[in-house]
Amino acid sequence: MTSRWIRAVVLLGVAGLAFAIARTYETYRGTDHSRVPRLAAVSSAPVETRDPAAPIADIPTASVAAGPPPTVPAADDGLLIYPTVSKGARTPFDLWRYYGRGASSFGTPELPMRFEQWLSFHRKQKPELMRDVRAYMAGRYDWNGKAIPGQFMSGGKPIMQGPVARLDPGIASFADLAALRPDEIKRRDLFPYKPLAHPLQSIAHMVFPPFWVAVHPEHLRIDVDMDIPSEYLPEFPPPLFLSTHKELGDVAGGREITFDNYFEIFDGLLTPEQMEGLKELLRPTATTWFNQTDHRITEAPSRGVACFDCHVNGHTNGAFELAPDSRPNMARLRTDTPTMRGNYNLMQLSSKRSIRSMDHFAEVEEYFDGDPGMQQAIGPRAVKTEVTNRMGDFNAIIDLPPAPKLTPLMRLDPALATEAELRGEAIFQGKGQCATCHYGPSFVDDAMHDLQVERLYVGRPEGPIKTFPLRGIKDSPPYLHDGRAPTLADGVEFFNLVLGLDLSSQEKQDLVAYLLCL
Amino acid sequence: MSDVNSASIRSIAVLRLALGFVFVYFGLLKFFPDLSPAEMLATQTIMRLSWQWLDAQTALFLLAVFECVIGLGFLLDVLPRLLPVLFFAHMLGTAVPLFVMPEFAFKIAPFAPTLEGQYIIKNLVLAAAGWVVLAPGLMAAGRGSVPLRRAELEGSM
Repeated sequence: MTSRWIRAVVLLGVAGLAFAIARTYETYRGTDHSRVPRLAAVSSAPVETRDPAAPIADIPTASVAAGPPPTVPAADDGLLIYPTVSKGARTPFDLWRYYGRGASSFGTPELPMRFEQWLSFHRKQKPELMRDVRAYMAGRYDWNGKAIPGQFMSGGKPIMQGPVARLDPGIASFADLAALRPDEIKRRDLFPYKPLAHPLQSIAHMVFPPFWVAVHPEHLRIDVDMDIPSEYLPEFPPPLFLSTHKELGDVAGGREITFDNYFEIFDGLLTPEQMEGLKELLRPTATTWFNQTDHRITEAPSRGVACFDCHVNGHTNGAFELAPDSRPNMARLRTDTPTMRGNYNLMQLSSKRSIRSMDHFAEVEEYFDGDPGMQQAIGPRAVKTEVTNRMGDFNAIIDLPPAPKLTPLMRLDPALATEAELRGEAIFQGKGQCATCHYGPSFVDDAMHDLQVERLYVGRPEGPIKTFPLRGIKDSPPYLHDGRAPTLADGVEFFNLVLGLDLSSQEKQDLVAYLLCL
Repeated sequence: MSDVNSASIRSIAVLRLALGFVFVYFGLLKFFPDLSPAEMLATQTIMRLSWQWLDAQTALFLLAVFECVIGLGFLLDVLPRLLPVLFFAHMLGTAVPLFVMPEFAFKIAPFAPTLEGQYIIKNLVLAAAGWVVLAPGLMAAGRGSVPLRRAELEGSM
């Protein structure tokens, strides 16, 4: 009897402890020390859904004007709290399923261990990590290496055939998938174009392709390598076209423009201001992880990274980073290096930050992951406004590649285009609705759009993202801001699903044929 | 029964309750993401041991359940067969980071531990305490008798 009483008291004590911890947790969460945001108030009003077959005019007014949409708590939407990791530790490949806040907005230049241990840690972790990364990517994509016959980038690299995204084994074709409603695709976890995370997001930073690292071994990382096969990345070195010297064609002549050869190539072609801007675009500067301190991801101290190390020859080599626009670092979206070609026509730069001028773009792209505080420890880039203006001056003359089948008003010349390409243009302008956002000389609307892709998978909403120009798009794989669509055909399948376009197989092929002309 | 024996018996009971409290307390903390200071080390270890099959939140939840079961086993003096297995498996698991993630456990291996390393090495005390509490039952089982609850053993001494 006594024993029973003791047990009852013990159980009561345990229950009291659990209650006390739960109460403490409610006080703790949402504070600036907690990674767990306090949940937003949720409307208890039922959500009315519209019959998709019903015409818009038939929707009862009351259901439209029912007030603001209810906020679904992230946890109720299947999201998980970001894991606690230290710098260097592995992070989930499906980071889009996570949410939360960071311990701090500010970074530190300290490693969690001595540098010798840091090297040893990554020597052990990198092979395992890259084995898992490759298995994960091979599970998502069929890297079959097949090119589109007779189609090449501006410098001659074959363009890869698609779609290469793998479908769930229960789905026979993209057409079958597109026949399903978005909520069913989400419920059955069938969406093949979920975001891509940085394979090591606890460090993140720039990951260069192997063909770049082969000639720039100073950018070989100790912790992680590129996760997309080189065939599905842009050509290297890419041609460089100048809007001021169209008659010269590729002024780089098959070379990579470097600090050592830029003067010889451009003297007599550029203005002194453009020359200075180009020089600054080629000058390496210390970054968060490529620098001379121990807080680095290279064996030897590094001189840093130049703008043209990712935007090689004013284009892109397919290196990726994280967009520097959010915290915690886990929330930052993976971002492929965009081309600088045709920037002169853009009123908005950067995928998420809506930067409005090229000099501002040059000023803020300081490679410190949006954290100027790190400059004190690692070394500032410290370019003054007149210098960033000149970087903008060179940026402003990088031209788009030739598109011989396009007329001055950016329509296909019927005398030069094939039937398939002309059909593709009609779809682009009509059923495909591409021209709603992609129009004008650069095929872009200079606006940010929220495609609400989270309708199709359990994930944290990515929010509005800038429309990217389609002029010259064949030279810039992989597609979408994080490269989740490796080929043009994957990009078409993505929009067919996200916008519910109901394109036939032939129409999708025609659309790809048209995109290759831009 | 001598005063010395009586004190020993009560000491083992106190040790059992203390172990149970620590396991339940630290286990309960792990049900709440971001509340346990051991979260990073524990989840990284489990994720690694599961070849990244378990995500951090699931790993932490399973560990929380594991620790609470052990804690309740000690507190309520139940699960005489299962408890030693769970307890010593847990003790072995906590030592894993010393070997698979020495960079986080040692400033310079193996004689200069970090705070986390010291935290793990201190588990020797828990392991020893667990042995003191569980040994009589294990020995009884070894002799072919039905394992007794520690309270019964404590009462028989």
